[in-house]
Amino acid sequence: MKEILKPGAVLLIICVIAAFALGMVNELTADRIADQRAAKNEVAKQAVLPTAASFTDLGEDALATVVADYAPVTGVYIGVDASGATVGYVFKSTPSGFGGPVEVITGIDMEGNITGLRIGSHSETPGLGAKSVEPAFYEQFAGKSADTYVGVSKTSAEGNDIQAITGATISSSAIVSGVNASIDAYHMLVEGGNGN
Amino acid sequence: MKIKNFTNGLVKENPTFVQLLGMCPTLAVTTSSVNGIGMGLATTAVLVCSNMAISLIRKVIPSNVRIPAYVIVIASFVTAVGMLMEAFSPDLYDALGLFIPLIVVNCIILARAEAFASKNNIGDSMLDGLGMGLGFTMSLTILGSVREFLGNGSVFGISLLGSSYQPALIMILPPGAFLALGVLLALYNSRKMKKAN
Repeated sequence: MKEILKPGAVLLIICVIAAFALGMVNELTADRIADQRAAKNEVAKQAVLPTAASFTDLGEDALATVVADYAPVTGVYIGVDASGATVGYVFKSTPSGFGGPVEVITGIDMEGNITGLRIGSHSETPGLGAKSVEPAFYEQFAGKSADTYVGVSKTSAEGNDIQAITGATISSSAIVSGVNASIDAYHMLVEGGNGN
Repeated sequence: MKIKNFTNGLVKENPTFVQLLGMCPTLAVTTSSVNGIGMGLATTAVLVCSNMAISLIRKVIPSNVRIPAYVIVIASFVTAVGMLMEAFSPDLYDALGLFIPLIVVNCIILARAEAFASKNNIGDSMLDGLGMGLGFTMSLTILGSVREFLGNGSVFGISLLGSSYQPALIMILPPGAFLALGVLLALYNSRKMKKAN
């Protein structure tokens, strides 16, 4: 009996100390981590829709409809200028890439142009799909029209196509599918409903 | 404290090339020099902390539950390091954050806890952790550099071969990890055998 109780008790004490220490660290860092993440999100939104002065969330019901009908879109923010007029939308989508979900943040203005794109967290192969976080790739999207879908080209990109990353066609296509879902959601919000 | 405990991990008992420990993260993350050094340094930080903590409590842990006890200590350190890094050093977290969860399953940490820290005092355990960690960092950086050079024509992100070089993409894909590690192990062992003769 003693051989079971003593090791069990020691293990319990170690667990209690470890849990307590982790709780303390969490208490100490949780607010700062939330702040850091929010700040990073804000920077990305600003980067893809530079004309907006601030962002508001889409209404809860409208967001639920978008998320249900336009997968893989998972988030929509309305960009407004200083006077409060809507200048465009920022879409967050998470299509499946080569290594897992890729967070794609797309900005589309009221003239129907893509104003920018950024890649958030992802687990693509370093040196291949992970190159999508570099400006050489994501800057291709700015200025493309949202009237039609964006296409992927392996050789020379023309019109509304973007050039795929060499050796990472799956990652490139995944990101474009996120953009195209965002384009669909954009048209629904601008033309279909009245933004609610 | 003996300096030998520090130098052991660098070459003579290098965790990657001699002990063949921690192969899973080794093969998975060494697609570039930067990834190699990042994983190595993150592992070193956890290894030093966990070795010291386990050395400190080695006398109170009953031997039949020592492995679960080590796992709790290691997992707690890894989680705490991850949270602290994200809160107070977001730039470092952007670079290393990806590797932190991988350290939990890195058997170097558990192997050093079992083979060294549970039998030695805190100072020696710290030196052992530091030496093994830096040895791991060194071998991962070499492996990452070889793969990045062949697979992308660059080292540490600096292009060395120019745009006319057709990169051997296979080297930064999973098979390249095995190919590069195999050749490096062969070179390492042939040098060692020459020295012994």
